[in-house]
Amino acid sequence: MTIIDELRSLEREALAAVAAAGTLDALEAVRIGYLGKKGSLTAVLRGLGALSPEERPEVGRVSNEVRVALEGALDSKRTTLQHAARAERIAAEAVDVTLPGRRRPVGRQHVLHQIVDEIVEVFAGLGYRIAEGPEVELDYYNFTALNHPPDHPARALQDTFYVRDLSGDRAAVEGESDVLLRTHTSPVQVHVMESQKPPIYVLAPGKVYRRDVADPSHLPQFTQIEGLVVDEDITFGDLKGTLEHFVHAMFGPERRVRLRPHFFPFTEPSAEVDVSCAICGGQGCRTCGGEGWLEILGCGMVDPNVFRYVGIDPERYTGFAFGMGAERIAGLKYGVPDLRLFVEGDTRFLHQF
Amino acid sequence: MRVSLNWLSDLVKITLPVEELCDRLDMTGTKVEAVHVLGEGLDGVVIGQVLTREQHPDADRLSYCSVDIGAEEPLRIVCGADNFAAGDRVPVACVGTTLPNGLTIKKAKLRGLVSEGMMCSPIELGVGGEASGLLILPPDAPIGVPYAEYAGLSDTVLELEVTPNRPDCLSMAGVAREVAAVTGVSFSVPASRPAESGGAASESVSVTIDDPVLCPRYTARVIRGVTIGPSPAWLAERVTAAGTRPVNNVVDVTNYVMYELGQPLHAFDLARVATDAAGRAAIGVRTAAEGERIRTLDGQDRALAADALLITDPSGPIALAGVMGGESTEVSEATTDILLESACFDPASISRTSRRLGLISESSLRFERGVDPDLASRAADRAAALIAEVAGGTAAPGIVDEYPGRREPRRLELRAGRVNQLLGTALSPADVSALLVPLGLDVTGDEVLTVTVPGFRPDLEREVDLIEEVARLYGLENIASTRPGGRGRVGGRTPGQRTRDRIGATLRAAGLDEHIGYSFGDSQDLERLGWECAPDEVLVELINPMSEEQAVMRWTLLPSLLRAVSHNQRRGVPDVHIYEMGTTFITAEGRKQPKERLMVGGALTGFWARPGWNDPGATLDFFDGKGVLETLMEALGSPRWTARPASRPWLQDGRSADVVVDGDVVGWLGEAAPQVLDAYEASGPVVLFELSVPALVKAVGRASVRYREIPRYPAVTLDLALVVDEDVTVERVLASIRSAGGTLLESARVFDVYRDPAGTPEDTRRLPVGKKSLAFSLVYRASDRTLTDGDVRPVHDKLVRKVCGAVGAEVRG
Repeated sequence: MTIIDELRSLEREALAAVAAAGTLDALEAVRIGYLGKKGSLTAVLRGLGALSPEERPEVGRVSNEVRVALEGALDSKRTTLQHAARAERIAAEAVDVTLPGRRRPVGRQHVLHQIVDEIVEVFAGLGYRIAEGPEVELDYYNFTALNHPPDHPARALQDTFYVRDLSGDRAAVEGESDVLLRTHTSPVQVHVMESQKPPIYVLAPGKVYRRDVADPSHLPQFTQIEGLVVDEDITFGDLKGTLEHFVHAMFGPERRVRLRPHFFPFTEPSAEVDVSCAICGGQGCRTCGGEGWLEILGCGMVDPNVFRYVGIDPERYTGFAFGMGAERIAGLKYGVPDLRLFVEGDTRFLHQF
Repeated sequence: MRVSLNWLSDLVKITLPVEELCDRLDMTGTKVEAVHVLGEGLDGVVIGQVLTREQHPDADRLSYCSVDIGAEEPLRIVCGADNFAAGDRVPVACVGTTLPNGLTIKKAKLRGLVSEGMMCSPIELGVGGEASGLLILPPDAPIGVPYAEYAGLSDTVLELEVTPNRPDCLSMAGVAREVAAVTGVSFSVPASRPAESGGAASESVSVTIDDPVLCPRYTARVIRGVTIGPSPAWLAERVTAAGTRPVNNVVDVTNYVMYELGQPLHAFDLARVATDAAGRAAIGVRTAAEGERIRTLDGQDRALAADALLITDPSGPIALAGVMGGESTEVSEATTDILLESACFDPASISRTSRRLGLISESSLRFERGVDPDLASRAADRAAALIAEVAGGTAAPGIVDEYPGRREPRRLELRAGRVNQLLGTALSPADVSALLVPLGLDVTGDEVLTVTVPGFRPDLEREVDLIEEVARLYGLENIASTRPGGRGRVGGRTPGQRTRDRIGATLRAAGLDEHIGYSFGDSQDLERLGWECAPDEVLVELINPMSEEQAVMRWTLLPSLLRAVSHNQRRGVPDVHIYEMGTTFITAEGRKQPKERLMVGGALTGFWARPGWNDPGATLDFFDGKGVLETLMEALGSPRWTARPASRPWLQDGRSADVVVDGDVVGWLGEAAPQVLDAYEASGPVVLFELSVPALVKAVGRASVRYREIPRYPAVTLDLALVVDEDVTVERVLASIRSAGGTLLESARVFDVYRDPAGTPEDTRRLPVGKKSLAFSLVYRASDRTLTDGDVRPVHDKLVRKVCGAVGAEVRG
């Protein structure tokens, strides 16, 4: 057998071995067997030096052909095997994507504070600041400076929580006290006007208290949001436009707003604000009690007597104030049937909003 | 105020359909709260007579009756009312009827007995305001006749919400005036004078007023020879429509005139009023003396406060002025001569007395809002004429009229310019005048109008009160919407408010739900928690709490959180992670208002989530709480803080720490003590924390944030395991490591804590008893070069020696 024949036979044998290799390791063994330092093709190539000068070019050409063919076959087989291995791994790693993920628990903001934040956001956009005041108030701030006459019915023991006054002062009415749980956020108005000169644009959210037995539609503690504007040239039209803007931002631009004249001791003229019912659009339904309107706000122009208590000149400055309840708005917005749910802390409730 | 449209149309022409009239009233400030169409829904209600009434064998409050409704067999009816007896005639709703309130009557078993219908109260029929019992019909009411047909019900009653500033609208005349003004028609107030004969009233009655402020006017009329009996149908119907139960002809007339004109009246039995030397019933008006008592018409014996206003005769108090009459002079069937009181009392005084006694009557309701003193004599004339008409008898000539508080009508200036300045309108003086005149105001002048206010509008005291009238009659809907220009204003949140928002947002991101609990507390919580107030601290007590459990203001958020945990657990929700940010209250002797502290607290129990297919879950413990606080502190700009071992009665010892920020204790963290869990019926472990929000806000204010260069060279990380005594804290070892590490030590953290498990035999122990192994990972880095082993090794070896010496540690081999 000539050396050429030997090379050709080696080539056939090697290509067959490449074709037969089923794994990358087997393929590597084939490469080492033929092309490694001690490989059989390497041995043949190493023997070229012993050939006669006439034989050498021909054998050299053939052996190079064989080497190139073998390397080509090895590469292409390697690629094939690599792809197959990757495909196998991918297949093995497939998961049921409908299984639930690993999640970090995320807490929810209380729905009442979501409402408060939403309202604050609307008015912050109109240039209002947030004002605060104590929850345990003096009668002066809660009633007197808000133009409630000394015998106003809201001062009655059955409506207002009174707090034991440890200063030794005696209250004007027996059984009552100068110190009480604020019944509305309006005393914040007085604090703001005492401590700040106009222009005043503030929003005051907070807890307020009234002596109601907790039942589906009453709580002894609830959340109010108060607004106050005092500036030159403030008109009732400004109040109306501001509240219309608020209602549209909060409830949607399709809702209609109406102001009905009403009475509050600390505003004059005063009004209640109704929003057209979202369910029936004003036709009247169960949600709105057939009226087509839902009452959401009380408001009015700051009474000159209130200005006098805080030393603001009512001839130079005018202003408006408004107040609303977060529980009422949350109730309307989400259809919460029982106010007590707001204070029980049932996480199944907290997680709904 | 209930307004019968039949009655109202006697006084004013109603030109609008009911619905439009209601809208018009709504939009001018008199809210129509409900519209009752009488007779609607009463098809199945017939007149019945109670034949027998027996006690229900199984229910104390129910009776079992048989009722004849003109059918073959009497109905068997179970009834909850108790103001009736066998023989009474009552309206009966038969099976199948749907009443005006929506209730459908079905044949039903009530506590074991079958009930075949329902006997009705006025409110169930939609014909009256009182719910206290069945509507008892006259004995001649025809059995079996439909009730609506019998009662001639074809009326619509509006229920008006009358605001406290509008006493005039507590009368039909006032409502008629309002309707006339807002619909642009005219109205008329009925007036009549009685035919008079016999001895003059002043021969039978004298009146003495002590204080003209408390009683500006007192008038008295005398009607002799009346026969007390039931009212004629028209009168009974009207007072029923107005919301009062008919009593007798004389009392019904006083109520009728009160509803018609707004003047509360009282009828005394003249014969029962004690007389003076001249034989005249001697009426006095004065305040009560200390310790005086009166038995009122409702049978209650009442102690009187010293400033209560009384009507007296020489024997003592005979009525609580303006609130309720006394029993001793009450009109009875035997009464023949009437002393009719028509007076005016001070609103504040009446309001005080009615509040103190918890006694609110139709009369007190009107007096405390203000009754026109000019009305007294007109109302007396009208009532006397009506009494003579329905109860017989004759009015004595004249009227006893003490009017020491007579005042000139009020005159106010109204600037048209001010109207427009306040409302944003462009009304002329003539426009303004045209709006006010229909209300009964007299208006003269031009740019500055002079307005004369009649006595029935005590609320119109100032220019702004008139502007309100202009606004509501002009129509708020006609005022153009604008928004304030507001030069020079700034909006937004303060840094403190933003930090508060951030605290909440971070706790939510850490997995806690926000809870809002009651601000009320229970002083028993002191005992439940083992809480001791500081020596100078006193809980904030309510004078008039709703219940013992809510009798103080909370001084900590803990009970609110623990109650929420327990509430969830008892309802089968085991995983609770909540926080609350709210005010707590504490006071001290000598303080008027308490201190209010804004706190944020949290409670964690159960798992973060139920175990899942790829998550075994773990019971939350101290370190979950601490992790939440670490997250919070990082979000607040990483102030210097630590959890310092501490003992609190409500926390389990050894799992409890003070939270110390910049050296100040700002709160605490730990697992609830077992007795606390028992007291709140919660099961543990429950991790709790409570921090002062202002202290956190302050810490954020102090924290200064500066850029630090991002490392450019690689670090060398070496691990170190130390065996230390049990009582050596990780924090102590870390402090020692940091101080010994020099400039090359970038960071150090603990990554393992090992103890031999309890009960490990001596020979297999890896650690001696009372020791633990702490493993730390130390990162060395230089900012200007890549560290080599040769750089780090000497530093590390020195560190190890120093730390071992400082904390008594040995390197674990």
